[in-house]
Amino acid sequence: MDSFVPFLISIITGAIGCAVLAYAFVKAGRSALLGGVIGALAGAAAPLIFMLPLNYCTFETERTGLDVAFGILLIAIALVAVILPLRWISLRILGHQTVIARQVTPGAFKGRWTPWLLLAPTLVILILFLYYPSLDTFRLSTLLARLGARRSVFVCVDNFTRLAQDASYLNVIGITFFISIAIVVIGLVLSLAIANLAYLPIKGAAIYRTLLIWPYAISPAVAGIIFLLLFNPTGGLINYALDNLFGVKIGWLNDPTAAPWAVIIASIWKSMGYNILFYIAGLQNVPKDLIEAAAIDGANAWQRFRRIVIPLLSPITFFLIITNMTYAFFDTFATIDYLTGGGPVNATTTMMYNIYEVGIVNNDLGKGAAQSILLFVMVIGLTVLQFRTTGERVTYGA
Amino acid sequence: MNHRKSLFFTLFVLVFALAVVPAFAQAPTDVKVWVAFTDYRLDWAQQKAAIFNEMFPQYNVTVDGYANYEELFSATALAAEQNALPAVVQYFEVATQDARDSGYFKSIASALGGRTEVNGVPVDLEDFIGPVSAYYTLDGEFTSMPWNTSSAIMFSNMNILNAAGVDTPPATWADVDAACEAVMALDNAPEFCFTWPNHGWFFEQWVAQQNAPLANNDNGRSDRATEVMLDSDASIAVAAWLKDMMDKGYLYYSGAQGGDSWATVDQAFQTQQVAMAAYSSSDTAVYTQTGVDNGFDVVASFLPYNQETGWTGNLIGGASLWLVEGLPTEVEDGALTFLLWFSNTNNAAEWHQVTGYIAIRQSSNDMLSTADWYATMEPTASQVWKDNALVQATQGTPWFDANPNFIVAANQLAESQITVATSGALLGAFPSIRNVITQALDTVLLADADPVETMAAASTEANQILEEYNLLNAPE
Repeated sequence: MDSFVPFLISIITGAIGCAVLAYAFVKAGRSALLGGVIGALAGAAAPLIFMLPLNYCTFETERTGLDVAFGILLIAIALVAVILPLRWISLRILGHQTVIARQVTPGAFKGRWTPWLLLAPTLVILILFLYYPSLDTFRLSTLLARLGARRSVFVCVDNFTRLAQDASYLNVIGITFFISIAIVVIGLVLSLAIANLAYLPIKGAAIYRTLLIWPYAISPAVAGIIFLLLFNPTGGLINYALDNLFGVKIGWLNDPTAAPWAVIIASIWKSMGYNILFYIAGLQNVPKDLIEAAAIDGANAWQRFRRIVIPLLSPITFFLIITNMTYAFFDTFATIDYLTGGGPVNATTTMMYNIYEVGIVNNDLGKGAAQSILLFVMVIGLTVLQFRTTGERVTYGA
Repeated sequence: MNHRKSLFFTLFVLVFALAVVPAFAQAPTDVKVWVAFTDYRLDWAQQKAAIFNEMFPQYNVTVDGYANYEELFSATALAAEQNALPAVVQYFEVATQDARDSGYFKSIASALGGRTEVNGVPVDLEDFIGPVSAYYTLDGEFTSMPWNTSSAIMFSNMNILNAAGVDTPPATWADVDAACEAVMALDNAPEFCFTWPNHGWFFEQWVAQQNAPLANNDNGRSDRATEVMLDSDASIAVAAWLKDMMDKGYLYYSGAQGGDSWATVDQAFQTQQVAMAAYSSSDTAVYTQTGVDNGFDVVASFLPYNQETGWTGNLIGGASLWLVEGLPTEVEDGALTFLLWFSNTNNAAEWHQVTGYIAIRQSSNDMLSTADWYATMEPTASQVWKDNALVQATQGTPWFDANPNFIVAANQLAESQITVATSGALLGAFPSIRNVITQALDTVLLADADPVETMAAASTEANQILEEYNLLNAPE
C-alpha cells in the first residue's frame, strides 16, 4: 500500500463532511466556516472506525478490485454513521433544543449514581455476554482462525469477499428467504383462519383454545424430534397416511424439493400457537357494532372479514410478521438440526444453520464470524425496511 | 450444668473429627475420563471404572459420555482453552493428526518412561494386534491407548438373499449389483436392496481397498499431508458405483450424513427395507441380535470391494484414549493404571463380546478361542457383560465358533495387506474434510450430479481446508 492512501481517504471524506455540515449550518443561518471545520474534522476521522483495526489492508496493492470496493463501502458506512448524527446534533444545539430528553418526573432518582447502581447488574451481563462477544465477532471475522489451533492469521476482509463470490452461499441466502417467507405467510394465514374458528362461541371453546396454543410451549428442538418421527420414511405417520390414502410416499428427508417443506411445516406448527393467541386477542377487540352495521348494510361474511376484521387486525399482523420473521431466521435452527441436519443437498441449510456448520462443526471461526455479521446486518436491514414500508399502512385505531 | 457443657463439647469434637478425619485419610485422586458414547457402551465403561475404583481405592475414576465423536472433539478444544481438560479423552481415529498437533496430549510411551508395570498392572504393548498398534504408533512411539477398534463390514439378511437365490453374501461391487438385481426381481421384493451410512469412513475404506492413498506424503505418514485426492480414479469409482446403484433403485440413501447416518441404516436393516447394509463391526452384537428379534438370519461378511482393482485390505476405525499432558504425577499414574487395566486381556475380550469391536489383544483372541473363557472372565466382569444374552447362551463353547459374525472384522484386518493406503490417512482437519466427502456423495446421489465434476469440486474444497489447517497448526 502506498503511504499516502490513508491521507487521500481522509481528505476525501473530510471534504464530504465539510460540505455537508457547512451546507447545514448555512441553512440554519450560521457560519459556514464553523460547520465546515467541524464537518471536515469528523469526516476525516470517520474512516478510522474501520480502517484503524484493518490497517487500510483493503487498499494494499496486491488486493483485488472487490477488496477495494468493500473497503470503500466500509468507509461510506462509517461516514454516514458519523456525519448524519453529527448534523442532527449540531442542528439541535444551534436551534437551542435539548439533545437528550431530560424529563424530571416525580418518580425520578435524585442522586446521579443510584440509577447506574441499579442498572449495573443488567449492564454487566449485557457487556460480558452480549456486547463484548459481538465486538469480538468483528475481530474474528478478519482472521483465519480455528479452535485449538496454534495461531491465527490476519486475512483482511477475505472472509467477506469470498462469500460474495461463493455461489453456494448465495444459494443459502435464497433458501433462507424461501423458508422464512413461507413460514411467515403460510403460518399467519393459517393462524388467522384457525383463530377465527376458535373465536366462535361454541361449547368447550376454552379447551380448544388451550390445545391450540399448546405447541408454543414446546421447544424448537422437541418440535424437530416430533416431526422427525412423523416424517420418518419407513415408520412415520405422515408417509403411512399418504401411502394408504393416495399411494404416494414422499422423501421428506432425502428429497431436496420436499425437505424444505418438512422444515416449514414443523416450524409453522411450532409457532402457530403464539400467532393464534394474538389473533384471538385481536378478534376480541374488533368492535361488534362495526360488524353489525356492515351486516345491516348487506355485507356478507367474507366482505365483513375482508373489509373490517383484517384492517383492524393490521397492527397485530404487523407485530406478528416481525416476530415470526425473527423466529424463522434464528429459532428454526434447532428444528432444522434435528429434522434434516441442513440436508439433503443443503436444501435446508439456512444462513443460521450454515454459521453453525462452518463455525462450530467445521471449526472455522473466522468464516463463521463473517457470516454471522452478514446475517446481523441483514436482519437489521430487514427490520428497518419493515418499519418503513409496512408500518405506514398499519391502522392503529378505528 | 458443667457436665452438660462438657458432654456437648465432647460431642462437638467427635462430630468434627468424624467430618474432618476422612479428608486427611487419603482422599482418592480424581481421574476424569471423557468418552463419546451415551448408550450401553457408556454403561459398560462406567461399570468397569467402578470395578477399577474398588480394586484401586486410591483412585476415583469417573467416566462422562458425550453424544458423538464430533461433539467430544469440540468439547475438548473448548475445555483446553479454559484449562479444564480431564485426564483422558477419547479421540476418534481421524482426529489423530489434530490430537497430535494440539499439544494437549502426551504419548503413552513417554508417560510410561520404560516402566514394565504401573501399580502392579503390567504393560504389554506387544500384545496389541498389528493393524491397531500400527495406526496409533506415530513417529515410532506408542502414542494413544487403543480401545474401540472396528472395521467396516457388511451385514446381510440371508432370508431375503436366499429367497433370491443368493447363497453367500456378495464379495465385490459387481456381486452386490448382481445380487440386488435378483433381490429386486422377487415378488415380495424389499423396497431397496442395499444401504450404507453416508459417513466419510466408508468412502475411505472403499478407496483404501483399491490401494489408493487419500492424501500425499504416503497418506500423511511420512510427512505432513498437504494434498487430499478426492478426485483420484479410486474416489470417483466409489461415487460412480453408488450413483449407479442409486439410479437402478437398489440403493437406499436416507439423506442423513456423518454421525446422524448410523441410525437410519439401523432402521432400514431392522425393518427389512433392505437386504444388505455396509456398517461398522462395532455393532455386530446389535445387528446379530436384530436378526434374532425380527426372525431373520444375519450374516456378516467382508466389505464388498471394486472388482476392477481387487482387494488390498481395509483400514481400522474407532477411537483411542489419549492421555492429557501436564497432569499432576498422581493423576497421570492413576490414568495410566486405568488405561492399562482397561485394555487388559479380560477387558478387551469383554468389550469385544458386548459390542463387536475387535478384541485388540492377541491374548484376548486366544482366550476367546478356548472353551473356558467364561470362567476366566467372570470374576472381574461388568453387569452389562453378565446380562448379555449371547455371552450367557454361548458360555462353555469357543466364542468364535458359536458366534461366527464376531470374527469377520478381525479376519478382514488380519488378511489385509498393510500398505500406505490401508494404514489410513493422517490428515489435519480430517473431521471437516469428511463433511466435504459426505456432502459430495450426497450431491452425487440426490442432485443427480456428475461424479467426476462433483469429486473434483470436493477435492478443491478439501484442499483449501487442509491448507488453512496446516497454515494455522503446522509447527514453525
